[in-house]
Amino acid sequence: MSDGLVEVGPATEFEDGDHAIVEVGRAEVGVVRADGEFYALRNQCPHDGGPVCKGIVQRELLGEFTGTGERVEQYYGEECIISCPWHGWSFELETGTHIGDERIQLPMYDVVVEDGIVYVDTGE
Amino acid sequence: MIDAARERIIDCDWHYQDSFKEVAAYMPEPWRTKYKHSNWDDAGVKQNLSSFFPTSTGDRQNYGKVVREHSNYPDEPEEPERVREGMDFLDIDVSLQISHLILAMGGVNADDKRVQAFTKGYVEYMLEEVLDPDDGVYGLAPMPYSDVEASLDILDRIEDEEAYVGACFVTAGASPPLGSRKYDPIYERCEDLDLPVVYHTGGSGLDEYVRAGYQEMIETHTLGFLESNMSQIVSVACQGIPEKYPDLDIVFMESGVTYIPGLISRLDEEYLKRPEEAPLLDTRPSEYITDFYFGTQPLEISARNELLELCFDMIGTDRLLYASDYPHWDFDSPSIINDLPMLDDDDRRAILAGNAEGVFGL
Ligand code: FES
Repeated sequence: MSDGLVEVGPATEFEDGDHAIVEVGRAEVGVVRADGEFYALRNQCPHDGGPVCKGIVQRELLGEFTGTGERVEQYYGEECIISCPWHGWSFELETGTHIGDERIQLPMYDVVVEDGIVYVDTGE
Repeated sequence: MIDAARERIIDCDWHYQDSFKEVAAYMPEPWRTKYKHSNWDDAGVKQNLSSFFPTSTGDRQNYGKVVREHSNYPDEPEEPERVREGMDFLDIDVSLQISHLILAMGGVNADDKRVQAFTKGYVEYMLEEVLDPDDGVYGLAPMPYSDVEASLDILDRIEDEEAYVGACFVTAGASPPLGSRKYDPIYERCEDLDLPVVYHTGGSGLDEYVRAGYQEMIETHTLGFLESNMSQIVSVACQGIPEKYPDLDIVFMESGVTYIPGLISRLDEEYLKRPEEAPLLDTRPSEYITDFYFGTQPLEISARNELLELCFDMIGTDRLLYASDYPHWDFDSPSIINDLPMLDDDDRRAILAGNAEGVFGL
């Protein structure tokens, strides 16, 4: 951990939607794979402390107003979100921002993959 | 405190004690003729929307306790001059007249056109007999919203009438609720015409408010009036009416103010857990709802000052509109606002007139 990297495990062991939990200092951090990318987030939901990184990963369901009298059109967008299994608070994996209120933020960490191994980069 | 008698006071909710018999003369056929030959006469007026048998838990006038000196309500149809008399009594300069009888429309289950006929007749009757912008007497046009075409006809009719400054939706009994896309064309037209939408709670179906068996009006009026507005606030906000029609001004009338912080807090709590179910919203529903305007009456002045202050703070004193509800049993005079210790004089002027000037273009 001298270079600020905390080892998570071989990248090949992750499928999209998989997660692993590691300790970073005193914090629990979840590393999640979505769309081939890795994201690391604090595994402590800002709502009530639930294990947010153990939740379902999926694309965000969006709605669009297409015209007066029309049903709101619903579709899955590009953005991947993770939802806390306790009550469903959901966050963009790219930013850690709550999808319903951008003032609510889940702390994010940098992830690096070196020689096929996934690390959380604490920046220290 | 300000001297209310010297200030301009706008009352956003005055109930004109209309008469089915008088309005019937302005209704389209066949209802004009049918009404004339019916036995209904002015029954709706004299029974003030309730009767001993079988439609309401309690007598609005509380069995002789409540009387009105400056209105014919509840015994006879109003005479137009008496509106001015009542306004003088309350020191009100401008009033927005809302039909008294339309408040019961939610109880009409018949698949006929009586509500459409009444609203069309009412709009003509009021223009002809009562409304007088030069004298500060304006009106809100009732929407027979279950019939979208008939509602659009009324909006076409009042488009160039200075006397009508808004469209009124009675919140009791709306099915589907008023956020439904079914009503989109009405909202779109109101936005085009720059006419605010005024949602007004109502008492129809109070006896069976959610469940039958309540005994007294204190129960049904407390709960039913609140529920009718709450159900529509939730529907209108969650279905994204403010996102669909961002220039539409939305007003809710006649449930006081203390329910709003509770409702929006609960709704926000739900939204953070399931925002995809209100997909048109960009942020918490409370952010939209506190952009709505709210009539203040019946203001809960017996509540603790800190609570009222918190309510005003959450809603915004720039969003509150003084409303008397005269001549109904629980009316508020302007002093209800003027006497509040937590307001400064600018807030008092805003609530008593300034905010309404902006919303209704008065
Ligand atoms: S603790 Fe995460 S949603 Fe409640």
